[in-house]
Amino acid sequence: MSHIQTKTPAEFDEQFRQYGSQGYDLVFGHGFEFQDAAKRVGPDHPRTIYVVTSGSSVGANVAGIEFAFADASYLAGMLAGAMTKSNVIGVIGGTELPPVRESFTAFSRGARVMNPKITILTSYIGNWDDVSAGREQALAQIGRNADVIFQNADAAGLGVFRAARETKKALVIGSNSDQNDVAPEITIASVVIDLPHAFLTVAREVRTHTFKPRVIKLGTESDVVTLKINPVFRPRIPAAAMHAVDSVRAELAARRFDPLAATP
Amino acid sequence: MPLGLAALGELLVERAGLINIGLEGAILAGAFGALVGASTAGGIGAGFAAAALAGLVIAMLFALCVIWIRADQIIAGTALTLLSVGATGTLYRALFGSSGAALRIPTSEPVAIPGVATLPVVGAALFSQPPITYFLYLLAPALAWWLARTHAGLALRAIGERPEAAEAAGIAVDRLRVLAILSGGVLGGLAGGTLVLAQAGTFAEGMSAGRGFIAIAIVVLGRWTPYGVAAGALLFGAASALQYAFQAMGWNAPYQVFLVVPYALTLAALAGAVGRARAPAALGRALETRR
Repeated sequence: MSHIQTKTPAEFDEQFRQYGSQGYDLVFGHGFEFQDAAKRVGPDHPRTIYVVTSGSSVGANVAGIEFAFADASYLAGMLAGAMTKSNVIGVIGGTELPPVRESFTAFSRGARVMNPKITILTSYIGNWDDVSAGREQALAQIGRNADVIFQNADAAGLGVFRAARETKKALVIGSNSDQNDVAPEITIASVVIDLPHAFLTVAREVRTHTFKPRVIKLGTESDVVTLKINPVFRPRIPAAAMHAVDSVRAELAARRFDPLAATP
Repeated sequence: MPLGLAALGELLVERAGLINIGLEGAILAGAFGALVGASTAGGIGAGFAAAALAGLVIAMLFALCVIWIRADQIIAGTALTLLSVGATGTLYRALFGSSGAALRIPTSEPVAIPGVATLPVVGAALFSQPPITYFLYLLAPALAWWLARTHAGLALRAIGERPEAAEAAGIAVDRLRVLAILSGGVLGGLAGGTLVLAQAGTFAEGMSAGRGFIAIAIVVLGRWTPYGVAAGALLFGAASALQYAFQAMGWNAPYQVFLVVPYALTLAALAGAVGRARAPAALGRALETRR
């Protein structure tokens, strides 16, 4: 097993080719930005399987993993809708990548199901590193009465937790990793992607030769993307809200409900 | 606030006839220094001291390259910024692991100045701030006075305009330039410290997010004078605050339109102001060979 961190899109092809010529069986590119490189490199290295997260292209040895991030975001939205007192909820992203936008759409729908009067404020920081700017964006939303903020901005999102802790006027829902420990007193939950679990699921298929090139959808039913409620905060969530979230979670796991489906 | 500190530091460097685009690296090193200082020694004072020290180290490397070896200033500055990005990232992962330092850093609380903090509109924005902000308020007039009224300030300006003439007049050009670079580094480091200790409460790789380069633009915008630079930093800060507020209004417009506001405003101010400005004559010029 080997790991390379790339900095620029120009390196994507090169690294994929390098792993291919070294005879690796399975290469993961983490992020939809890798999929064009996988499509280009795949045919040249037919014995290597290239899998791109958030990718949608499929070839003979190219596959994508689609995280059902929207499902868990919808559940997070339901909690936010139940917890808000001001009826103003904020979402803060790094940049407007397709998965981030979808997550925010699902979150907003979840919130409105619980409380139709809700106003959603959307801000983007413009990058994923500027913690100070993340804090300022959150302070601005809190200034506009937002009392629950859903952040999806990586490191810059830490500024959102900081703003909430500092003002004591907002609760936060984290993203991607389990952020319930960052500021337990103001964190409702985190939408967590269990990446190792996802990669292992695919790797097992490859090893047992059951792998078929496709877009592999991993989400609620496989426990790869989950809404992880902060155990410290749990007692403050109304029982009715928890009940509603659990019943929708069952619907999602059974694939009876798609939070991104066009509304009639 | 970090912008003001960093820009005043760069002002000193540029008035000495040098351009240090390694400022971004000094800010990032300062941010990391603040993290290490505040989390190991504990306390905000230790954090700021370590931030200043980290900025100083980057500045020493710059002085070594530019004054001692006579390397190209732009290349040396770029290299140091890249070095700082790499070194802080590597050390951060080595010391704090991939889960990071979260929000465990103590932060500097705002201190309201009695009397003026309750003024309408500007009161809380200007006079209910962490102590480092008041340091900045004092620094701008102090630098203005020092540059205009003291012998050392005059010498600094002289080496930025006519280094040969200054040398003939008995000024130790290289020594003064090194001092200017080191002071700039300390202020850049403190700017990084401010990011961590007065704002974010944590460190993230690349968290300086281009502030060093904005600070260099602000020096030009401020026409190489301390008051001008302070005003430029204030303008950029206000425009950023406007941008955050606009996004939180929930207007239906692409967010990039809002993100560009501070930069567009700075560019407009620059276009209006720079016509009347004159850079130090020796700014960025290759240094005379050592005798």
